[in-house]
Amino acid sequence: MLATGAAGAAATALAVLWKGNDLSQILDHVRDLTHGYQGALSSERVRIAHLLRRAGFAATQAELDRYVAMGTTAATQSLLNFQQTPNSQLDGQLPAIDPMGGKTVTAAAIQAWWLQRMVQTARPLEEKMTLFWHGLLTSGLDKSGPAQMFTQNQLFRQMALGNFDDLLKAVAKDPAMMVYLDTETNRKGKPNENYARELMELFTTGIGHYTETDVQESARSFTGWTLRGGAQLRFDTQSLFVARYHDSGQKTFMGKTGNFTGDDIVEMLVPLRATAERLSGRLFSFFAYPNPEADIVHHLADTFQNSRYNVGAVVKEIFAMDAFYSTKAYRSLVKSPAELVAQTLKATGSNAKGYTAAAAAMAPMGQVLFYPPNVAGWPAGTSWVNSSTLLNRLNFANAATQRMRALLPQQSLDQLTSTLVDGNLSPTTHDGLHAFAAAHAGDQAGLLFMALATPEYQLN
Amino acid sequence: MFSRRDFIKQGLLPVFAGSAVPTVFANGVATAAADSPNATPSDRVLVLVQLAGGNDGLNTLIPFQDGAYHDARPTLRQDQGVLTLNNQLGLHPNLKGLKASWDAGQLAIVQGVGYPNPNLSHFASMSVWETASVQGGIGDGWLGRYLNYLDKVGESANHALEGVSAGSLVPPELRSTTPVLALQSLKTFRLQPVTEHGTQVEVENPLMKFYGAFKSSGPAPFGALLDTTLQEALQASHALLATDASYQAKATYPANSPIASSLKLVAETIVSGLGVRVAHVTLGGFDNHAREKPVHDKLLLDLDQALTAFMQDLQGHGLGDRVLVMTWSEFGRRVKENGSAGTDHGTAAPMFLLGAPVKGGLYGQQPSLAALDNGNLKFTTDFRSVYASVLQGYLNAPASDLLGGNYEILPLLKA
Repeated sequence: MLATGAAGAAATALAVLWKGNDLSQILDHVRDLTHGYQGALSSERVRIAHLLRRAGFAATQAELDRYVAMGTTAATQSLLNFQQTPNSQLDGQLPAIDPMGGKTVTAAAIQAWWLQRMVQTARPLEEKMTLFWHGLLTSGLDKSGPAQMFTQNQLFRQMALGNFDDLLKAVAKDPAMMVYLDTETNRKGKPNENYARELMELFTTGIGHYTETDVQESARSFTGWTLRGGAQLRFDTQSLFVARYHDSGQKTFMGKTGNFTGDDIVEMLVPLRATAERLSGRLFSFFAYPNPEADIVHHLADTFQNSRYNVGAVVKEIFAMDAFYSTKAYRSLVKSPAELVAQTLKATGSNAKGYTAAAAAMAPMGQVLFYPPNVAGWPAGTSWVNSSTLLNRLNFANAATQRMRALLPQQSLDQLTSTLVDGNLSPTTHDGLHAFAAAHAGDQAGLLFMALATPEYQLN
Repeated sequence: MFSRRDFIKQGLLPVFAGSAVPTVFANGVATAAADSPNATPSDRVLVLVQLAGGNDGLNTLIPFQDGAYHDARPTLRQDQGVLTLNNQLGLHPNLKGLKASWDAGQLAIVQGVGYPNPNLSHFASMSVWETASVQGGIGDGWLGRYLNYLDKVGESANHALEGVSAGSLVPPELRSTTPVLALQSLKTFRLQPVTEHGTQVEVENPLMKFYGAFKSSGPAPFGALLDTTLQEALQASHALLATDASYQAKATYPANSPIASSLKLVAETIVSGLGVRVAHVTLGGFDNHAREKPVHDKLLLDLDQALTAFMQDLQGHGLGDRVLVMTWSEFGRRVKENGSAGTDHGTAAPMFLLGAPVKGGLYGQQPSLAALDNGNLKFTTDFRSVYASVLQGYLNAPASDLLGGNYEILPLLKA
């Protein structure tokens, strides 16, 4: 079937090309058509590079060498059990940010700080899960303050692979979330529906599993937690429970009646099959490929429910699936700007100013850390690619390589492409890069830029 | 079917061979003949202004004489300075520029716009508006279908600047099979020079080959998208570099206003003659569940000032006849304010159409505050009726084909 398809495509292409092209052009095209790049996953080095792109922000050559020496099984365990990996080297390099620092904490500072973590962490999965939670349980700088977003980021990191009900209970009391979805105003007799609605529509069951009455009764249940208001609202990083603000009356939620609190609502939502399937599908789409098959979602939802809602168990299962290493998964995701920028900075190196500049350069690519476009997070996939964002991705690669021009280590083209794109390029691109290298000997920055500008590098 | 590219290749443009012409095309020719002398359809631009998050329609077009409004909005009601349109309704005090357009007969307001079985989810409801389908979904947007239609009938210039969105994302209403450009600046829309290398020969040409080869090499799901996108990007950047870059705004746009910057960019694109047909800008921040008043007041002020400068700018360039602005939001807000001095998600709200092409006035019916549905307004005009009126009356496109149904045409636009 596949062979027939490829041969058929090749024949069609030949017929089109025959008019007015010389033989060498035709042969080049046939070579690209028949290049079976998806067979690359038979190499363990490529499998581990794929794992590190998905479970983290890709790898430097030294990092890749180290994980390859461990082998796939041990490498996967090491990524999952990240708490056993010390991160002191990173901690020693990061600028200090005080969550109690109020107005002294700036958006630019926390953006550069997080980007540096993505690039330099020894615990890639911890950072990748933090980005996953930021994109699902969204809050943003359009309403919440930088110190609050910084505090929320620590929460996501601490609970990266924990139990989902624990995380949702904590997020409901998280200051950034309380400002972003208005729970800080939600009081007895004055319910505010914002958080209650998004908790179900976006964070747990998805649309179609609840009524407008459930939204209203849930809002009443979440009353009581608040922040110091007034001028301090966007700087307050500690929420508090005020008993007289809590509506302790009877509520009826999804057919059950009681004096529910917000925690009770979470405990009713998390066990629902719709929640298990939605979260499992989101995790698989984030790590493996979009629109997973129903049996994959069912299997992962079972894992979630059988593990008492443990996210780590689901992620571990995803990394163990054949589907994760399938040709369908390979290069099936567009690098998000965060992934693109972090891997590029691993390739070029960076200084403190470089992190700040790179974090700012993400905006025209369509992703500003701590500032998702709305409560649904980033739409991802094809939306990362349009003519404007693609030019900005290429221009960023150019700026980053030129910035570090004098400091780039001399690497051969094969070393570069081995680390950046699994040494797996279409024959035309492979030959084109070699021609560039031959014509511009010694121009390491130009060569690195060309490798970072390839279509293969735009994908994960 | 037929694209402009095909017509040019075959030397067919603009001669048609009788029965071979698709009927939609014949319709387009027929209506074009009856068009106003000032602007042929292909010169016309529709500018969509999205008020994202759900604009509070009752505090935009205000029923200031209705006791029920004052009762429902004890802290949010606008008591002072409402810009009266008649003895019942007035504009928010910060919409002074729009009021001047009203006085000049260049503002049409459609009241109570919504759709059956309203969805109170931002994203579900946005999708309904974007696709012009109550099922929503991920298909082409309603203006994307218009761009596809232009391509099909050979009306399309077939370059990446027909559909333009200010920002880094292409909005779903412009999703189409024809190229649409997300634009942040005309000056930076290019591949920056790579030190010591000639951009076109040493960088762009090899990259074009790389992207073309990757598309061919196996079942990569994004291969074709990346290849097409790079081609569009480089083609558009060359077009922009070759364009007269002498645009000077003929109005003062407010500083520190993202919506003003977006509209100025759209004006620059129109004035530069880049062939834009549909443009999209977004003003976000309308989801005010708490402490709504200061935020909403400021949003409407920003909107009004930006639109006023935009219209002045276009008029200054003699292009006022060619541009229609239309606002939309995924829903209005709950009639009764909540306990946080904000409003929760609601339903129907007014739409504004602004510019020389409109016949100013109020259209449709103001929803009653006495007959609510779960605390929300009952819509009186289907949003697809407004879309149909614009598609047919302004863009000369077959509205019922593009919307998948027949909707009442409102006389919003000059003949």
